[in-house]
Amino acid sequence: MTHEEKLSKRAEEKYFKEHTTKIKLTPGDIVFNILNYLFFILFTLSCIFPFYYIFINTISNNELVKKGVITFFPQQLTIQNYIMMANVNDLWNSFVVTILRTLIGTVLMVFASALAGYLMTKQEMWHRKFWYRFLVITMYFNAGLIPTYLNLSMLGLTNTFLVYIIPAIVSPYNIILVKTYVESIPGEIEESAFIDGAGYWTIFYKIIWPLSKPILATIAIFGAVGHWNSFQDSLIYNSNSPELYTVQHRLYVYLNQSSNLSAMVNGATSSSDTAALSGAMNTKIIQYTISMITIIPIMLVYPFMQRYFESGIMLGAVKG
Amino acid sequence: MADAVRSAADIGSNKRVVERTPREKLCDVLFWFVRASVVVNIIILFFPNFNAARVTDQINKNMSLFTCGVSYKTLITNFGRAFARGWVPEAAFKLLNASSLIIIAAVVIMIIGACMSLGNNKMKKTSTFFTIGGSVVEICALIGIYRSYDMLLGSEKIEKVNPVFPAIFWLYVVLAGVALFVSAAELILVPTTKGEKAEMAAKYRLFLMMLPILVLAFVFCYLPLFGWRYAFFDYKSGETLSWDKFVGFKWFKSLLNTAATRKDVVRVVKNTLAMSGLGIATSWVPMVFAIFLSEIKNTTFRRVVQTFTTIPNFISWVLVYAIALAIFSTDGFINTFLTSIGHPTMTNYLLSDSHMWLKMLAWGLWKGLGWSAIIYIASISGIDQQLYEAATVDGAGRFAKMWFITIPELIPTYMVLLLMSIANILSNGMEQYLVFSNSINKNSIEVLDLYVYNLGITSGLIPISTVIGMVKSIISVILLFAANSVSKLIRGESIV
Repeated sequence: MTHEEKLSKRAEEKYFKEHTTKIKLTPGDIVFNILNYLFFILFTLSCIFPFYYIFINTISNNELVKKGVITFFPQQLTIQNYIMMANVNDLWNSFVVTILRTLIGTVLMVFASALAGYLMTKQEMWHRKFWYRFLVITMYFNAGLIPTYLNLSMLGLTNTFLVYIIPAIVSPYNIILVKTYVESIPGEIEESAFIDGAGYWTIFYKIIWPLSKPILATIAIFGAVGHWNSFQDSLIYNSNSPELYTVQHRLYVYLNQSSNLSAMVNGATSSSDTAALSGAMNTKIIQYTISMITIIPIMLVYPFMQRYFESGIMLGAVKG
Repeated sequence: MADAVRSAADIGSNKRVVERTPREKLCDVLFWFVRASVVVNIIILFFPNFNAARVTDQINKNMSLFTCGVSYKTLITNFGRAFARGWVPEAAFKLLNASSLIIIAAVVIMIIGACMSLGNNKMKKTSTFFTIGGSVVEICALIGIYRSYDMLLGSEKIEKVNPVFPAIFWLYVVLAGVALFVSAAELILVPTTKGEKAEMAAKYRLFLMMLPILVLAFVFCYLPLFGWRYAFFDYKSGETLSWDKFVGFKWFKSLLNTAATRKDVVRVVKNTLAMSGLGIATSWVPMVFAIFLSEIKNTTFRRVVQTFTTIPNFISWVLVYAIALAIFSTDGFINTFLTSIGHPTMTNYLLSDSHMWLKMLAWGLWKGLGWSAIIYIASISGIDQQLYEAATVDGAGRFAKMWFITIPELIPTYMVLLLMSIANILSNGMEQYLVFSNSINKNSIEVLDLYVYNLGITSGLIPISTVIGMVKSIISVILLFAANSVSKLIRGESIV
């Protein structure tokens, strides 16, 4: 845009600002706006207030929390509850398991999706169409919970860490997303690399991988959140190995053993880890604190995730 | 473009199209025998029923040859006492473990050979070294297994080990033999040209790069279908299947004929359809949410709303339940608040059976509304502004514009999502219902997926829960195709 064009555009804007009369709001519009704003304010509050409520209860004086005084504002701030959590080895063990599965699982899933997505654009592959359908069709049927469980058990994957990783590597949906994206990369780039003597691997990691970073970031973030929140696989496949419980599963256990937890708080059992939670904390506070610790990682990545929402959900509509 | 790439690929692999001689064609056919024997060999490594290393009754029935090779500890679980008393020679088990491990290694070598056999003549010739080597090693390891069986026969208290020679052993021998002899024949048959470099056509190279992913998809998506066979057997967990336990359609019939089961199934299906139905009946809510949100002109406000209403979508159902506890349980927010304003109450709202379907719908909406609205918000921002301007000129009000412009523009997206949710009417997942279920609301919250879980995993009734899951899967696929046909009919576009 040249300088003159800029000037004329600015003048045009100024003209419009001065000469368009603001449309007057009718009373109906005002009522509508008030109701509209009110609805969204209330709904938004309902979405964040529970988190806030749990949080203020974990940082207030425990005696006040027990009395039920803390409703809207924290009182007598303390981080004692979080410090106490350091002694709950079970919880940290679950954290390590979950962090490992999130990292390893996501990296492998993204790599496999990128590779498969790229290879599936190669017309010259042996029976490419057949293999593509072979992959895509798996999205539309499901053998069911029990056959899947028996299959994993037959393969010796139940009660191992690998059951979190290996079955989740191949994700047909993500493969389609990457394939669609790779198809949008101009073929000339790849062609010229070919003529320069690059093989498929070289092209994959020197050209395709860097150029598809936006889509790979999207699937990585959604995959990572999925791994972090996973609960079912831990519950179904690893129920006999408490050392392999994921964070969500551990939280589920804590939420459901309230009688146990409070017994521990009251000093009825002192041998277990959870006995470390006794003292000033009761079941409710323990549950709140653990919930808060489980939410924190999601909240930390949430701001970074946001810009991938639209690309993530919109790409879902494009299917190959 | 595709042709250009293809020709570039041909340049890359320096491939010339040459007519293959009859001898080469024979070689091609023979290689399929080698590959087939290798593939079968890989598969049977992982099946407990095909465990050639199960030389005594005492070895766990659910152990595959692969497990015997990689985990010595699992192999000898049942023999601690026998070793301590000196009834059984431990060396036999060490030999068994080592032999199994060597078989695995041999199969890996043969896999390399089988992959290489897709190359040109030079590469094919090299591949035979791998397959010959691998099969020789496998035969040696099989001899090792035989030897350990021999050693067990000579153990002091033979009734404590009860050696049984596994008939499946001979399948391994046959497979290794086929690979050995056919490869040896290939070694002689494959013609070589002087100075030819070992290489592979692009189409096979691409296929081999893809192969690991295809194998994973097969193992974790297709192989479970094989588990449907449990629906036709009288099976209890921990046993192995055998044909004398075949019961045909007994479980399918019992589903309909046993009054108690039938009652359960009817109740569960009612819950499932009701809750999915409510979800479908309210599926327009995210669209309206998006339309009304876009009516707000303040961008900051809009962004804040979007940011915070999307959060619940990214927390797990377990955490949603933790929140429900914090708000609605006896010492949760509601009771605390009511007490503080002078209405002392101690109600645990989660321990009630009333309006369970509506409550689950409300939680689903709370969790998913902001997220589901995003797709509509994105579509709304893509609508041509001129449409609105023209409508304004024609005197259309706010609601007229929504009704005649925005909604028609969003309907295609809505239809796709609606049809998908109709196809998924039977699968509403189990996590939400599992975390919220307790002894009081159990009857009105149990959906099909949760019922299958409770029946199969918690109670261990494998066949009947497989039957239910199987029927559910089949109906779901039919529904999906129906939804797809409807979509094709009314939109001229398929959704799958």
